[in-house]
Parts: sequence; C-alpha cells; structure tokens
Amino acid sequence: MRNIRRNPDIIWREEEEARAEVVRAMERGDDASGEGTVLLVESGMMHQLNLLGGEIWKLLDGIDEERLVDTLAMTFDVDRDILARDIRDFLADLDRRGWLVHE
Amino acid sequence: MYMSRIPFSPITINWTLTFRCNFNCRHCYSRPEKAPELPTGQVKEIMAKVAKYKVPFINYGGGEPLLRSDLFDLTGYATGLGFNVSMNTNGFLMTEEKAALARESGFRTVGISIDSTKAELHDDFRNTKGSHKKAVSAAKFLKEQGVRLTISSVICRVNHMEFEELVRQARDLGAEQISLHNYKCAGMGFTNKDELDLTPEEWKEFYLKAIALREKVTDIRISMDDPITATIHKAPEQAIVKGSTCGKLSLNIRANGDVTPCGFIPVVIGNLLKDDLKDLWDNSNILEKMRNKKPKEKCLTCKHYEDCLGGCTARAYATTGDFNSPDPHCWVAK
Ligand code: SF4
Ligand code: SF4
Repeated sequence: MRNIRRNPDIIWREEEEARAEVVRAMERGDDASGEGTVLLVESGMMHQLNLLGGEIWKLLDGIDEERLVDTLAMTFDVDRDILARDIRDFLADLDRRGWLVHE
Repeated sequence: MYMSRIPFSPITINWTLTFRCNFNCRHCYSRPEKAPELPTGQVKEIMAKVAKYKVPFINYGGGEPLLRSDLFDLTGYATGLGFNVSMNTNGFLMTEEKAALARESGFRTVGISIDSTKAELHDDFRNTKGSHKKAVSAAKFLKEQGVRLTISSVICRVNHMEFEELVRQARDLGAEQISLHNYKCAGMGFTNKDELDLTPEEWKEFYLKAIALREKVTDIRISMDDPITATIHKAPEQAIVKGSTCGKLSLNIRANGDVTPCGFIPVVIGNLLKDDLKDLWDNSNILEKMRNKKPKEKCLTCKHYEDCLGGCTARAYATTGDFNSPDPHCWVAK
C-alpha cells in the first residue's frame, strides 16, 4: 500500500483552542462535527477541516491507509468498518482537490 | 463551514516595514503616515514573538519594502522561523540581482502593483515616469528566478472599465493571481476620493462583471476581497468569516511596531515591542468592536446584514468615524 503525504504547497495550522472546545463538546455528547479544528490555505483560499478530518490530516506524514485507520481507531470510538469508510471517503475528497501526494 | 470562533491568532500579518516610498501615488493610503522605522534587530525581535503564535503568513505592504536595505536579511530570518513571506512592491527598484535575492531569501510570492495596461496612465496615476515599464521588467526578473508572481491593481476611476485587460496583462506576465483591490478612502485615497472613487452603482456594475469573469477564467486566479460583494453573490465555500477580515483573520504592524486592525484603520491597539500579540488579539476592545459590529441606519433593515455585516469597516470608519456605519460603497437603497 502506498504512503500518503500532505501536498507541501498547502499551508495549514491546527486551531488548538477550537480543537479543545470540540473535544469538550464531544465529551458532553454534543455534535461538533461541523466545527473546524484545522485551517488550510491553498492558492489564497482558506478551508477548514473538522475534528476527524483534522486528525487524519495531521497524520499524513507518509503513512499508508491501513496504519491510518489503526491509529485513528485508538482515538475514535466507532465501528472500525465505518471509520475505515469515512477515512477512505475523506482521502478521496482530498485527492480530488490535489491536496495529497502518493509515494 | 464558518468558524464559530475566530482563529487563536492572526492568519496573516500585514507589515509595513517602512513608510518611505520612491513613489507618490494618487490613491496611496500610507503617504501621510510617518513613524520612526525599527532597526533590523527589533524587527527580528518582533518576528520571533509573532512566530510563537504560529502566524502562517507575513505580507510586507507599503511604503516600498525594497527601500529597506535589510529586506532580504529580514525575509531569510522570517522564513527560517516558519513564516510564508510575501510583499507588495511597485517594482521600480527590482533588479535581476534583487529578484535572485528574493528567491534565495525564500519569498513565497511577490506582488507587483500595476494599475493600467496603458503605460502613460499607470505612470500618471503613480506620479512616476517609466514606472509601468519598470513594473513589467520586475515581473520578468522574478519569473526568470522562478519566484511566484502576483499582480495587484487598485480599482478606481482610471481603470474600472479596463479590468479585463488588466487580467489579460497579468496572465501574460505569468502571474498566478491578480488582486483587484477595492478603493480605500484612507490617506491620499481619502484626499482624492471625489476624483478617483466610483459611485456605489459603478461598484455594483464592476463587481457583477468581475465576478462573472472570475467564474469563467481558469488560468489565473482573480481575487477580490470586498465584503460588500456579499449582496450580489453567495460567499464561496471557503469563506470562513463574514464581513471584513481585518481583526478576525489579519492584523497590521506599522514601521515602529504599532499594531492596528488593518492598514486602513489608523487606530493603534498596542505595540509589539512591549505588548504580547496574543494578549492584544484576545483582549483588545477595538478588535472586539470590529468583530461584533452592530447594525445602524440602513443596515438595520437590510436583508443582507447577516452576510455583509455592514461591508468594509475601514471605509465606514474613514468616512464617518464609526465602525458600525454602512459601507459608503454600499449600493443597497435606504
Ligand atoms: S501606493 Fe505603494 S508605491 Fe504608491 S506611494 Fe503608496 S506605498 Fe508607494
Ligand atoms: S445596507 Fe448595510 S448590510 Fe445592507 S448591503 Fe449595505 S452595508 Fe451591507
């Protein structure tokens, strides 16, 4: 399986305060999936990723999909198949945008 | 996706390293500004403090950055701290050697100001003979060095009918983006506004055409950062805050280290030689007022308020002294 990396042309930053708040909201059982925790700037445009997207994004340092699912399964308490599918969909979306590099 | 809270620190710092300039443009916001210039060491000291808060972008604005003899030294230092650095220059002082230094010091992009495709008009507007020719050569030098190029044009009475040619010129020069800046009534821009600014109806007409062109063109990005356009088109998916972005995504540093919300709002909220960036960002009541504007006058009953937030705060403040006043470029009837 090929390793995946972030496209180095994309400038990004974790929004630490927003992330902490989302984590607190989730612990309370609230839905915070629409809240951004990572900001990306690509060609002058700004985008955000929600918590799951942000956690995936941070791990894309040359990692294969299998290992990505394993790592996130330790943090997100959801069915592994569902998680794997969400990750695959998310990566496909990033790929379409040209935000990934495959090695 | 809009952010329900603003980022924990600015995404962009617009930094006036110097108010000096070799030009005297008719629309310039910064000509009347005077402030002592910080020496290299103190600029670096501030850069290091700002880097602590992971601000990703620094853009040097005007005055003319190339007048600072330590420009490339500062830029090398800033890129070493992790900043993505860009600048806006009139290009007059750009040479092959300086373009090479721009690349070596790590400039991510360099923006050249060109306000017309007609050399005489640009030279006249910028009060400097030969300035169009020099701006075009500056673009070439940068391209030869592989530096990413952007072009900036301030839209006003002399060029609002020729913006399509401006876009074509920028594309021919190899720019990846053209910024069509809205006219700001600050500094000389305020003094000359009756002669140079468009009427609200003309702004509407310009934006309708420019937005249509932006949607059609694929080989160059057309950037127009004006909150008043919220009335005529839906904000793109990636817009993460509404209204003016200054004080929400960006801040401005002046030549002496003073901090203002934006280059066009001359209200000082602190000085980074003594103040902490994060403290200003979180606790300035000026920023708080800009982030939580209250509708007044015609904005009170306007159906666009939620998206427009009264338009450009700098223009409202320049013309009325009140952040909350409706943007003077607003074309929506009372
Ligand atoms: S607009 Fe730029 S080039 Fe013109 S006078 Fe002002 S700082 Fe100088
Ligand atoms: S009236 Fe106010 S809210 Fe409405 S479009 Fe004009 S500036 Fe924006």
